[in-house]
Amino acid sequence: MIESLVILYGALPYLFRGVLVTVSLVVGAMGLGLLSGIALAVGQVYGTPWTRRLIGFYVWFFRGVPLIVLLFLFYFGLFTMLGINLSAFTASIIVLGLISAAYQSQIFRGAILSLPTGQLKAARALGMSDSRAIISIILPQALRLSVPGWSNEYSIVLKDSAVTYAVGVTEVMARAHFVASRTYEHLPLYFAAGVIFLMLTFLGTKGLRLLEDRVRIPGYVR
Amino acid sequence: MSKPPVLRAENITKRYGKKVVLNNASLSICERELKILIGPSGSGKSTFLQCINFLVTPDRGRVWLDGREILRTHKRDLNAYRQKVGMIFQDFNLFDHLTALANVEIGLTRVRKMGKEEACEKAMQELDKVGLRDHIAKYPAQLSGGQKQRVSIARALAMDPEVMLLDEPTSALDPELITEVLAVIKDLRANGMTMIMSTHQLNFASEVADEIIFLEDGIIVEVGPPDKILYEPECERTIQFCSKMRELYGNSR
Ligand SMILES: Nc1ncnc2c1ncn2[C@@H]1O[C@H](COP(=O)(O)OP(=O)(O)O)[C@@H](O)[C@H]1O
Ligand SMILES: [Mg+2]
Repeated sequence: MIESLVILYGALPYLFRGVLVTVSLVVGAMGLGLLSGIALAVGQVYGTPWTRRLIGFYVWFFRGVPLIVLLFLFYFGLFTMLGINLSAFTASIIVLGLISAAYQSQIFRGAILSLPTGQLKAARALGMSDSRAIISIILPQALRLSVPGWSNEYSIVLKDSAVTYAVGVTEVMARAHFVASRTYEHLPLYFAAGVIFLMLTFLGTKGLRLLEDRVRIPGYVR
Repeated sequence: MSKPPVLRAENITKRYGKKVVLNNASLSICERELKILIGPSGSGKSTFLQCINFLVTPDRGRVWLDGREILRTHKRDLNAYRQKVGMIFQDFNLFDHLTALANVEIGLTRVRKMGKEEACEKAMQELDKVGLRDHIAKYPAQLSGGQKQRVSIARALAMDPEVMLLDEPTSALDPELITEVLAVIKDLRANGMTMIMSTHQLNFASEVADEIIFLEDGIIVEVGPPDKILYEPECERTIQFCSKMRELYGNSR
């Protein structure tokens, strides 16, 4: 027992360096997913029928295929075939980001559709172009409404990021696995990995809760 | 006759599915005039007003401002035209995420590309005109209905419109708040603003309108000065509508 703890203690700095990798994966993927998700949502709500169909297909695809299949498909298959030389880390950010974009787009789309149509009408009545109205009027409101859904998406991406150990990204799970298989101390190491993920979930959702309060519109109840 | 009209809309027709909600409606208005649109709920008043600035796309019909036809397919022209035509909505449609001040500023900074400081100053002036100097920092959710509608009037006025379209500006208000908004509209009238307004306030209409247009089932049934339309209408339907409105809202004279 003592011996296990000593091994775990010795491995902690190594695991914590994995936290940096995990956090980078999540930040990168969420960021990519945010930008693409907004574009996809706007396209799906305001786009031409063909744009909508195309985006619908994108969302259907990335929500329908398991993460591990997409990771292998892109990292070993697509990127290699196209001769794009990416590290496992970068490839993982892209794949996690593309998937998150699909989910985030649906969060934003729902938020946009929940806004009263009068908001866009009033913006147009002032002489705003549609793109200006979307940027200045629609998105600031829709993004505020999206924070709770976004918080949920964060915890999912965080947990999904552990799967990237399968393509060799040295995030928390990969490091726990590495130490465990060399020392045979499976229980304490995977336990530690679990606790680390729990803490990251806790901190992230807490932070987003604070953000939600900060951006809340005064007097506004829904 | 005299001056050419500022705004002219001709033969506006709008269908939703098979239902014709606006049938060949025409209207023109000269500078400083106030024309009032009356008619039962669902008669097409909102549709007519929104077709005039193309917030609703008419199936047929043409619109001119200052003698120039507006082609809604030319996005740039359309946006420039909408700047010159202020719109007031029944349910205000203030931008919920912006303060009263920012609601008025945003058209100035984002559409008229005015500098931040100049826009702020002008927005303050407009809010002052509608009596809201003390409420500029409040968000729509913190304002009463009457205050919201006054902010929306200030927002439209800030664009220095040539014409204002007001779609039942007091219909969503509690009775005690109606007067404060009507007072602002009377003020505009006194200052020579050209306006087309739909309303159920027949008393107000008889007091201030140059002309009343009675709309029913998407058709303009009767047009004339208030005294004629409200007290000696020719059409049976106008008579019925006016007497019904008097029952609901009290007698005017
Ligand atoms: N977007 C829409 N889709 C279908 N029908 C509509 C739509 N907007 C308005 N209508 C119909 O058009 C008619 C006129 O509506 P409206 O212009 O709002 O009347 P008013 O403003 O005089 O009450 C009504 O019968 C209404 O149900
Ligand atoms: Mg209406």
